[in-house]
Amino acid sequence: MTALFHGGPDGYSAAVLIALAEKGLAFENHQVDLAAFAQHDPAFLAINPAGQLPVLRDGDRTLTEAFFILLYLDERYPEPPLGGADPKARYAVQKWGKYVETHIAPNLAIVDWDQRGRTPDAAQQARLAALTPERQALWTQALNGFSAEDVQTAKAALAKAADRIAEDLARQDWLAGAGWSLADIIVFPHAARFASLGLTVPAAVADWLARVAQRPAVQQAIGRGDHAPAVATMGPERGRWG
Amino acid sequence: MLEVYTWEPNANSGKPLFCLKEKQVPFVFHYIDMGKREHFSPAFLKINRDGTIPAVVHDDLVMTESTPIMEYIDDAFDGPALRPADPWWRWRMRQVMRYMDNQVAPALAMLASNRLATPQFQGADPAELKRELEKIPLPERRAAWEKLMFNKTPPADLAESARRVAAAIRHFDGLLGETPWLAGPDFSLADINVFATFYGLPTNQPEQVNAQTTPHLWDWLRCCHARTGLQQAFQLGKGYIGQRAAEARKLLGVAEAVA
Repeated sequence: MTALFHGGPDGYSAAVLIALAEKGLAFENHQVDLAAFAQHDPAFLAINPAGQLPVLRDGDRTLTEAFFILLYLDERYPEPPLGGADPKARYAVQKWGKYVETHIAPNLAIVDWDQRGRTPDAAQQARLAALTPERQALWTQALNGFSAEDVQTAKAALAKAADRIAEDLARQDWLAGAGWSLADIIVFPHAARFASLGLTVPAAVADWLARVAQRPAVQQAIGRGDHAPAVATMGPERGRWG
Repeated sequence: MLEVYTWEPNANSGKPLFCLKEKQVPFVFHYIDMGKREHFSPAFLKINRDGTIPAVVHDDLVMTESTPIMEYIDDAFDGPALRPADPWWRWRMRQVMRYMDNQVAPALAMLASNRLATPQFQGADPAELKRELEKIPLPERRAAWEKLMFNKTPPADLAESARRVAAAIRHFDGLLGETPWLAGPDFSLADINVFATFYGLPTNQPEQVNAQTTPHLWDWLRCCHARTGLQQAFQLGKGYIGQRAAEARKLLGVAEAVA
């Protein structure tokens, strides 16, 4: 039995929902209520001590980290193939997975939190103590508010990310080459949020976003995909040393 | 044509060297002297505008992300497989590499560069250092180098890095108590990734890493250091890294496999 714990059709959770739809896999659907900070409930921390979504259960295996879940799904359920047609395309898939993790997701979370972050109630705040030290430190920073410089740095990183997406799309239709792949699936739900956060994207990126949104599996998994998620939440940690 | 532009067989810089030697893939090695900050030189920036090493060029494909490069090398070339066949162990391999790349290696780099590089900048002309900083393309890299050059790394950051390294040593010792290698029954990219940064711990951190405190990690270090491919990679170094690896082998009682 396959089960997915996710935070709704946004960001990393959306990427895994799209991949499951592409693969035509049935799964038990567990949406965790981010508005209630349910990702920090003891019941969920027992599944993932980092308190992060999504989490995939495949039989007795528990898998975290959306990009690695995507690779796992593609390797375990090869049809239709989404991992890239040749080594060059597969490098592009790996490159974009890494880029989202280190450059896009942490900065997107900071900009989003700066605009829409909400203070948890006392009981929710008390639960932060149960998180891993790294997650606790990040949430403490968020609750104290990111500095103007932090937010500016994050916005600059996202603007650069939009340019890099556009560069790859200038050479090819999809991010890993001629075919739609996990590279598109991991970048799309993040890049789709740029406009709502006040970031303009190059025309090539806007065109690509529109093409992705029209794909049947994307619409099946996340609807139009152009809405803002219910609440802001913390992404991966930004690099501490370069 | 396969070309590798990198510094020593050490940390990110060493990842492609270790992988290619393990698979016995021939390549052209272009040494980029990080001590002279050659990775910020106009010649290197033509290959990788971000000024990060390693850069690997295979025919018309330019690759600059070290862990994706590791996957590519195993994917594109013949030789012994460096990734488990089972998707579950592959997931584990990638988790180990992510933990290493995001949490552990940067913490060790912060500690090591503050110990080794910061003293070299003391007494230098601040205006000259500022001009050097201007050559660094990535803002996040520039910020780290600025802390190094002007000795501005906050003590709390150094303490947090030391905590992370200690936690990682315990974590990996635990994993290696369950399976002989970090991603299961077979040697994989996860072992190369961690070894590229941990190879010198027996001599650098003898209080934390030794046969009594971390027996599983100790055995694993012996098994890694004994591998011909990994020893061959160390021979590519031109600086102190090869010496550091030889000292670790001696302490571990590992024989020299390469003449």
